[in-house]
Amino acid sequence: MRNFARMQSPRKSGLSLAGALLLGLLECGHPSQAADGPAAAATPPVPANNLSGATINFAPNDPAGEWRSQARDYANSRYSPLDQINSGNVAQLRVAWTFSDGTLHGHEAAPLVIGDTMYLVTPFPDMAYALDLTKPGASIKWTFKPNPSPLAIGKACCDAVTRGIAYADGKLIYNLLDDHTVAVDTKTGKEVWRIKMDNVETGATMTMAPLIVGNKVFVGNSGGEMGVQGWIAALDVGTGKELWRAYSTGSDKRVLIGADFKPFYRWMKGEDLGVSSWPAGMWKHGGASVWGWISYDPQTNLIFYGTSNPSPRVPVQRPGYNLWASTIFARDADTGMARWAYQTTPHDEWDYDAVNEDILMDLPIKGRVRKVLVHFDRNAYAYTIDRTTGEVLVAAPFAYLNWSTGFDMTTGRPIVNKDKEPKPGVKIDNLCPPDIGGKDWQPAAASPRSGLVYAGIFNLCMDLTDHEVGYIASTPYDGMEMQRQAAPGGNLGEFMAWNPATGKKMWAIKERFMTMSGALATAGDVVFYGTADGWFRAVDARSGKILWSQKLGSGVIGQPISYLGPDHRQYIAIYSGIGGVATMRVDKSMSGFPAPGGTLYVFSIHGDSVGAQSAEPAAVDDAAAPPANANQGKP
Amino acid sequence: MPMRIVPAGLMTMSLMLCACSHSEGGSASGPPTTGLPSAGEMSAVPMGHVAGLTDSAALARSMPNPYGDDAQAVAAGKALYVKMNCAGCHAYDAKGNMGPDLTDSYWRYGGLPAQIYRSIHDGRAQGMPAWGAALPPREIWKLVAYIESLGGAYSVDGTPRNPQRAELVAPEVQAPSPAAASSP
Repeated sequence: MRNFARMQSPRKSGLSLAGALLLGLLECGHPSQAADGPAAAATPPVPANNLSGATINFAPNDPAGEWRSQARDYANSRYSPLDQINSGNVAQLRVAWTFSDGTLHGHEAAPLVIGDTMYLVTPFPDMAYALDLTKPGASIKWTFKPNPSPLAIGKACCDAVTRGIAYADGKLIYNLLDDHTVAVDTKTGKEVWRIKMDNVETGATMTMAPLIVGNKVFVGNSGGEMGVQGWIAALDVGTGKELWRAYSTGSDKRVLIGADFKPFYRWMKGEDLGVSSWPAGMWKHGGASVWGWISYDPQTNLIFYGTSNPSPRVPVQRPGYNLWASTIFARDADTGMARWAYQTTPHDEWDYDAVNEDILMDLPIKGRVRKVLVHFDRNAYAYTIDRTTGEVLVAAPFAYLNWSTGFDMTTGRPIVNKDKEPKPGVKIDNLCPPDIGGKDWQPAAASPRSGLVYAGIFNLCMDLTDHEVGYIASTPYDGMEMQRQAAPGGNLGEFMAWNPATGKKMWAIKERFMTMSGALATAGDVVFYGTADGWFRAVDARSGKILWSQKLGSGVIGQPISYLGPDHRQYIAIYSGIGGVATMRVDKSMSGFPAPGGTLYVFSIHGDSVGAQSAEPAAVDDAAAPPANANQGKP
Repeated sequence: MPMRIVPAGLMTMSLMLCACSHSEGGSASGPPTTGLPSAGEMSAVPMGHVAGLTDSAALARSMPNPYGDDAQAVAAGKALYVKMNCAGCHAYDAKGNMGPDLTDSYWRYGGLPAQIYRSIHDGRAQGMPAWGAALPPREIWKLVAYIESLGGAYSVDGTPRNPQRAELVAPEVQAPSPAAASSP
């Protein structure tokens, strides 16, 4: 109780609220027309108190009460247009119902709500559930058990997790940890197709959530710690047939780089850089897997995603830029051909990856509305990048870092701190951020009302000793010995609001434990997130004031969503189940660290829910009794 | 040497399976109620090679590490532990990461020297690779010697080498108490 009270007071950093408002007013003086095109026509005008002037294209414009993809829209906004729950009444949120899925690995996925059904996917053994939202307590409609190989558990670097399920055309599509993509009929829960995408024996796994656009589902592999070859592929939604596959290392032919490829910066131009930026042959085990998020811009028909760290994680063994590891790619959705690329951490020496989400916004910068992607990299720089060209418009640290001393806007490269470059056998103390970054895969949310982006981030450093490693198939190609600890301040986590036009932090809430949950922004101007020690919070989107907190059974590393039930009531749903990289030793050794779990919590105002008024034992099924009798005794 | 013994063991197993299916195939009139082997006989199926014998904890207890706690063997085992990327999963301090902690006294597959040998030689179902083809027995025993030196393993007499770390008792080496045995 004492802890709770202490955490309720928000701590602010960066600009004061007054300053932020002033800045927003100035920016709104610029014309901020939404981008042209039919999808943009539906975009409402920028509210006067929008602090960045940002607009977001919410294609495919799913029904407001549903949540049909992990990020809800192609832009990866994780913004719900629902506003029944708002800053005025969110303090009355109570548990409406819960659901235990019977598994205990880390729960990193968001549920989907399509029509009157909720769909869940569990961590290993990767089961799927359909829950009937019209029934009191949301009973199970069907369970799908794909039985993936247990071998995959020990090949996944960071717990046997999944980051979620995708939906299209009456099918749920998701990745099994043992490298199969599977499609399941939403009505029956039966398997429609299953395609083997990689070899788990080599150390490759699949943990990312697919993105579906039209008749294509985009998937990628995991295994940057195992020396795999990273790839992204497009499969046909109907049959699972592979339409194209782009590798992250190797020749331009393998990487799907052709005449249309125009990176903004000169140092990424040239032939077959995916081969020549490595020592001879090392690209073959170069990692650069694709385990994060994919976003899509319908106006340009481009997908955006990032690749993982290069393998091995010991940089002296692979002199060169190591393209296309730790790189953001823009690719044509139909052909897979690369349009541009931008390597966030050249010659990544610290396992920083570039897999974090790319949120698509249209943003006034220096008097011009730019089509941008906003990306909080593990390397602790937040980037606002022109998504049509790959030009970095804003780059600013959002979390504590000392691996870099600044950012060169001319070359688009961070300036490396020579004192923090690892050498085998030499221990480097206090290197920040650590391998898991200033923020990991946990996705941020963006609001078109405030114009801000909200993210759970880390405040971490590591002591690092590199060891040279050899490639042995099926074992880690790794070599980093490290101990993570808190960065200055002592808190391990933080939840913050960010202005992507200025690169300024607007407010921040420091958390004692890691903040590794996704964020949810809503039209009620409330933002939701969870903590590794199991607190789930609602925050005022503008002031950062904590309005409501609830302790859940286990730690929260899932992604909150919002939906309308069949009763037209707004609900908030979040998985509780600690795991993934949130179970680091510094965390686990602190009092208050929770045990594993696997429970979905669903909240509503006052905890009201379908059938809650008649929450008494259901009538015993009796085939002989007429339906009218079955309802007797119920109000 | 174990490589040669494996096929023989598999052959034994498959022969036994054949025998079983024959005898059961003849029982179309219902399961026989007499003449079944005793529980003791059924548990005595040999698994095929030197470390396989350790499916019986009693046999594993008769098989100490030939290197004992020889310091050179421990050092060589530690070097192998890094070179073969064991540290990548079990961590450089062996306290576990992708793979389990090797310093505590909880062992999924048994903490006696021969049981650890078998885990390394055969691999295990949740991702532990099989090293029997890549490493000769003497190298595997050196790895075992290093792991034993970390204090969580068990001596052949079934007691933890380091009682301070024995907060958990591995079920594989714990004899059932009379009370546990009598209750279903």
